[in-house]
Amino acid sequence: MTTITIHINEKEYQVAPGKTILEVCRENDIEILTMCHLKGIMDVGACRLCLVEIEGVNRLLSACTTKVGANMIIRTDTERIKRYQRITTELFFAERNHVCSVCVANGKCELQQLGYKVGLDHIRYPFLYPQCEVDSSHPWYVMDHNRCIMCTRCVRVCNEVEGAHNWDVMNRGYQVRVISDFNTPWGESITCTSCGKCLHACPTGAIWPKAIVQGQLNKKPEIIEELMEKRAMKL
Amino acid sequence: MNRQELTNLRSLAIDKQQKYKHKICVCCGASCISSGAEAVLKKMQDEIKARGMDQEVEVIPTGCMGPCNQGPLVKHMPDNTIYQKITEENIAQIIQSQLIDKKPIEDILLFADSREKPFVNANEDPFFKKQLKIALKDCGELNPESIDDYLVHDGYQALSKVLFQQSPEEVIAEIKQSRLRGRGGAGYPTGLKWETVYKHVNDHKYVICNGDEGDPGAFMDRSVLEGNPHRVLEGMTIAGYAVGANKGYAYIRGEYPLAIKRFELAIKQARKLGVLGDHILGTDFNFDVEVRIGAGAFVCGEETALIASIEGKRGTPKPRPPFPAESGLWGKPTLINNVETMASIVPIINLGGEWYSDIGTPKSAGTKVFALAGKINYSGLIEVPMGTTLRQIVYEIGGGIQGDAPFKAAQTGGPSGGCIPAAHLDVRMDYEALVNLGSIMGSGGLIIMDDSSDMVDVARFFMEFCMDESCGKCVPCRVGTKMMHDLLQKICDNKANSNDLQRLEELAIYVKETSLCGLGGSAPNPLLSTLRHFREEYDQRISKPVVNSY
Repeated sequence: MTTITIHINEKEYQVAPGKTILEVCRENDIEILTMCHLKGIMDVGACRLCLVEIEGVNRLLSACTTKVGANMIIRTDTERIKRYQRITTELFFAERNHVCSVCVANGKCELQQLGYKVGLDHIRYPFLYPQCEVDSSHPWYVMDHNRCIMCTRCVRVCNEVEGAHNWDVMNRGYQVRVISDFNTPWGESITCTSCGKCLHACPTGAIWPKAIVQGQLNKKPEIIEELMEKRAMKL
Repeated sequence: MNRQELTNLRSLAIDKQQKYKHKICVCCGASCISSGAEAVLKKMQDEIKARGMDQEVEVIPTGCMGPCNQGPLVKHMPDNTIYQKITEENIAQIIQSQLIDKKPIEDILLFADSREKPFVNANEDPFFKKQLKIALKDCGELNPESIDDYLVHDGYQALSKVLFQQSPEEVIAEIKQSRLRGRGGAGYPTGLKWETVYKHVNDHKYVICNGDEGDPGAFMDRSVLEGNPHRVLEGMTIAGYAVGANKGYAYIRGEYPLAIKRFELAIKQARKLGVLGDHILGTDFNFDVEVRIGAGAFVCGEETALIASIEGKRGTPKPRPPFPAESGLWGKPTLINNVETMASIVPIINLGGEWYSDIGTPKSAGTKVFALAGKINYSGLIEVPMGTTLRQIVYEIGGGIQGDAPFKAAQTGGPSGGCIPAAHLDVRMDYEALVNLGSIMGSGGLIIMDDSSDMVDVARFFMEFCMDESCGKCVPCRVGTKMMHDLLQKICDNKANSNDLQRLEELAIYVKETSLCGLGGSAPNPLLSTLRHFREEYDQRISKPVVNSY
């Protein structure tokens, strides 16, 4: 098999072409922070946490959507990238109403983990405190928009894996919301199969099963990848 | 229809027009229509008929003539006399003195109310004299709803030339030689883009014409589409031939109903004539164009969002690479060019790439259309060679600032651009010069501001625009523009301190560097450029630093 040579953080790697920078980094234990990335579904490059510097490219590129090229010189750990990761995290927290202490995902939340990783001790931007709905019309699950970070993992998993396309996005700018069908209550959805994949795909406590309370959420985002692998084997 | 038949048809159309002694053009661009041009046109046609002059006088509606705030405009050809602010009452007078007595009416000549001596031949007026019309050449002189009229103005000659005399490689070489750069704003070399699409081998390729002009104060693409839709259509067809595409889409924003109507009519006429559709001019080349109407999202002017919108999806951008030239519409190689770029193709083919590259500056060839607006005496649509100074545009073409107020700044490039202060009035307008000043060429909106404008408020206005128009997909643009807007509002309200300004600057750089697409990437530009050139206005509103505000 042909391989190409790339440099990541001044170290040389021999990798197979066609892989994304993120895949290569994860295989080689180089940490890249992500939020919207989930193995098994398409990458959209929306959270901008995985931005990397590539020599000769004047923009920062998202590692999840950029494929490795021969002789690429990549940096994932510069001061600038770290600073931007912190600002992104701060903006995530300031955007909606994230209150860890009362959240079902407390301790298992990817956003919380991200906060620890970037060393978030305080947030320098004013909290926006938007009025967000909590949709508990579904018999088993709850969608709490206060905790949603618009990573759209639920939207993609519902569309690409389950094929139901119950979830979609409406509005623009900071008023975007994930909606069920044409913005009707989740419980009235005619497309939702109640499969629960969105629940496992969700990085925060925005989608959770009704039968639990604070900190009890037990998400398994890896089941999406397992499922897709098994499907591929069957083919 | 083959090549010979096209030539015959053209001669017929020319013969028909030469029968007329006079041609009366009534500007029916959107802005003249809004001030009553349609009634003027009808009255003119009726009056000419009633006087039995319809055998020697042709009355036609045309596209935009340029001086939009003087409308409705009526032009007499061949004298090239333009009358301004025409109502139905003026019609009889115009017919009597211009056509019968051959005497121009002084007091309604173009700019009669502001120039000491208005010009009878409008081409001698500085407003037109300093311009060089290439993309807009026939705009305002031909009937956009008549393909015969377009044929008279050398219509479809360029298409015929490339189909019978040039290979796709030769067409691309010609465009490359012209050094034409994308007129949508970024200024990517058009020839290079065509070549990239051409080189990607695929059974299906697409050509897209981007007419989703959303910048506040910009109306270049609208005027081109309304004034000369066939020119854009011909440009698209040539592009299709050059890159090997058989299908084109014209994405026109829904706010331009007249442009959509005229472009759709042009498509119908071109299909009927055989210059669009299967076996164009009897050759094996097939190309068809469909119109797609935008639904009001500014972000859909961004090429990947536009492609998503054509595919029927929510208009959100995708990370590049891969670029549309490699994987665009439905994953196929796609050429996407702005309306003005497409309108520049025909003259380049007709007159040669070398001719075009001689115009303008070393790095930016050709001409640029600007929509001149704001506190300027003669606002409207102008086309000047690249490298024309801002001073020439404002004072010679635009006739100076209203009420002789001092010039404060010119805003170029809309919400993605910046402000050029008075100190740089002599900047030669081209892509690089504007970037060096912290602005961009953009699609060509040019808003002139006098000393009554508050620059912090200007920055806040454009930030509000970007905040509302952000698609909400990526975090920096979605939340960052909201935060920046709130901070700017705080400064406008005199409630901010120096920490707020520091945070604002940090956010601006962050949003610029990390956003997914061009909207977020350029959203901080108005803020950064006003900070660069008008920092004192920010400082005046900021209270003393607060220690330990965190």
